[in-house]
Amino acid sequence: MPGASGSRFWIFVFLFPFLVLYGGFTVWPLLATAYYSLFNWDGIQPLTDFVGLGNYQKIWADPIFWLALKNTLVFAVAETAIKLPLTLVVAVLLTRRWLLFKSFFRTVFFLPVILPVALAGLVFTYLLNPSNGALNAFLVDHNLVHTPIDLLGHGNTALIAIILVATWQIFGQYMVYWMAALQNVPEELYEAADLDGAGELQKLWHITLPLIRPVAIIITLLAIVNALHVFGVVVTLTSGGPGQASYTVSYFIYNEAFSEAPFRYGYGSAAALLFAVLAFVFVSGQAVLARGALRRRQEYGV
Amino acid sequence: MGRLTKRAAMIAAVLGLVGCSGGGTAGTPPAASAAPVTLKLMDFSTEQTAFHKQVSDEYTRLYPNVTIQWVSIAQAQYEQTLPLAFQSKQAPDIFYWQKEGSNSMNWLMSNSWIGTVSPDGKVPSDWTKRWPAGSFQNGINMKNGKVYGFPWQDTQYWGPGYMYLNKAVFAQAGLDPNQAPTTWSQLADTCATIKSKTKAYCMAVPMKGTDWQRAWYAMAAGNMTDLLFDYKNGTFDLSDPRMLDTFNYLKGLYNKGYFAPGVQDKSFSRQQFAAGQAGIYMDGPWMVSVWDQLGFHSDGYVVAAHPNPDSGAAGALSSTNSTNDYWVSSQTQHAADAWKLIQWITNPTGFFVRNFLKNQFATLAFADSKKVLTDPAWQQIFKIGDTKGFRVSYPDPLLKCPALSTSSAYTDASALHPNWELQVMVDAITSNKDLKPAAQTVVSTRQQVLASELQKEAASGLNVSLSCYSFGTNGWDFTKSFNPASYPKS
Repeated sequence: MPGASGSRFWIFVFLFPFLVLYGGFTVWPLLATAYYSLFNWDGIQPLTDFVGLGNYQKIWADPIFWLALKNTLVFAVAETAIKLPLTLVVAVLLTRRWLLFKSFFRTVFFLPVILPVALAGLVFTYLLNPSNGALNAFLVDHNLVHTPIDLLGHGNTALIAIILVATWQIFGQYMVYWMAALQNVPEELYEAADLDGAGELQKLWHITLPLIRPVAIIITLLAIVNALHVFGVVVTLTSGGPGQASYTVSYFIYNEAFSEAPFRYGYGSAAALLFAVLAFVFVSGQAVLARGALRRRQEYGV
Repeated sequence: MGRLTKRAAMIAAVLGLVGCSGGGTAGTPPAASAAPVTLKLMDFSTEQTAFHKQVSDEYTRLYPNVTIQWVSIAQAQYEQTLPLAFQSKQAPDIFYWQKEGSNSMNWLMSNSWIGTVSPDGKVPSDWTKRWPAGSFQNGINMKNGKVYGFPWQDTQYWGPGYMYLNKAVFAQAGLDPNQAPTTWSQLADTCATIKSKTKAYCMAVPMKGTDWQRAWYAMAAGNMTDLLFDYKNGTFDLSDPRMLDTFNYLKGLYNKGYFAPGVQDKSFSRQQFAAGQAGIYMDGPWMVSVWDQLGFHSDGYVVAAHPNPDSGAAGALSSTNSTNDYWVSSQTQHAADAWKLIQWITNPTGFFVRNFLKNQFATLAFADSKKVLTDPAWQQIFKIGDTKGFRVSYPDPLLKCPALSTSSAYTDASALHPNWELQVMVDAITSNKDLKPAAQTVVSTRQQVLASELQKEAASGLNVSLSCYSFGTNGWDFTKSFNPASYPKS
């Protein structure tokens, strides 16, 4: 079988660069993180203080980690629940033939995506500032409120503000995802529906949504995974505060591992690995749903 | 043989250099290399970059074979960059490190990052005389008689605890800024007046990230200590009734609307004060240069000491030998040149000191800052710092229990959730919650780590215990300077 072995050789040759990069930048960091998590290590001195599962036990009993995890899940669910339906509606509108200035609207909605997150955070820090921010100035000047609202200064509203700002920033990206998904729906199905006298809502409900479901699952998966990593907007808007009220897991890891020397790489690594496991659970759950949706699409024969 | 002879000659030359440096005097610099040398210095004083250029130029003018490469990067990057520089054998010749307070030398030694300040660790007495007596201590900046570090900033004036009063805001409120509030009641009354008579906020208090410390340290020092550890009783202290009293007092001011609204960072709060949007701001003496940079000069404000409880000061700001900031790298190939530069920099009347002080970067431990800093704000700061009981010398556990130099117990306890105390305070103040439960959690968690780690270290043969951290039995209290004679004789 010289042909088969030759094919295997070329398969390996073409896969090799990918395997090297994947091994170096994905597998190795994961293994190293798992290894470091078993040590009390500051990232500087030799890895000698082996603590086994000690870091995991500490995290298990750490109220701040659980607060960060709760905030992260709230953020991920809420942000996803807000951004996906909204971006879908906008994408549907922006793919309608009758809509004018489509390019303009696409650009406007996509603009925040290209803004650096630090800049977005800074802009909203000033906009929402209760001392001299534009939002409060408008509300007070128009007698809509008597005293300024301090959205970022209270534990119960800071996370909401972060969710809304993050949604604003990422809006255009998911809009583009939906538009790509919508373009995969065969036009003849809509034409057939038109012949049958279906309205816009009926077409959306009975044609568009079922057919984009597999892609929707993937988009939802991406949305949740991205939301679980929320970091930049937390740093720039609240620094995890006030106090620890808007801590997320990524910020917790950063704060424990890197914020102040002596660093706690071991502890941070353990938290990071737990977080990775959590993300994996989400991904696996999504994969099961995606398979079901794919079967459904095959039933439609498209 | 020829090669061996050359090597012997080189060793002799090196020994000669070392001998010169050790036995020389500050007036006669040690013999350093005549060959071209580049000395690399690293810190995170980005605001001093232009000054560093001046220093480099002047030094090269004096010593044409030496080029100074002074690198200043942002603090957050610095703390990650420096370890990498050491790991990759690209460490600077002289670097800044002050993370571990008075234990910095031991921590740096345990990482093999530092060498002695002079090539052989011996320094002439007329060099050490540049500092106040007692500045060089075994376990802090000396080990086995060799000198590894030297105090940088002075600890009498430099530190938190000052209150800045905006003259314009006080004038609008009909108040005399030269009659600064000295008690908690007076501060509350002042705020009530400013709130009722002006459009300004009474106090600009930053609370974002770690910035709450700026007001907290000042106010807590008046009632107990500005440290988050009680060296009288050897415990973390946020749950102490006096600390809770101080917090509740500040929370009362916040609830009455005396703080400018919002969880702001220090830059924003400073701008508010400088722009006359707030009447009071609390921070350290470094603010004099910060205000200047904001275009707000000392004719626009008054500096005063922090207010104390109505019953009088029950504490003071702490002063420790913890400003040993610049270190000679163990990886330097130019130890003699580095030592020569250090002597030049620390010349109390030299180019560096004169221009450093002129730029108001800090008050220096080895210079008479009062002579150069003649701005009225600085004169007020010196007057406040000289007030008896404003700042007192604190005891140092390292000097009570030298074995602590190899202990990581305190570091482990305080590194657990960095800035946890500040965070729970900001959370309690903005959510209008009782601080006590959270403070008790913080204190018990940290104390548990400290006690258990010390116990483990003691079991492994290290002569350490919780008693190393308590000085109440030595007759010390928060309002008075610790008598060094009280340390056990080794």
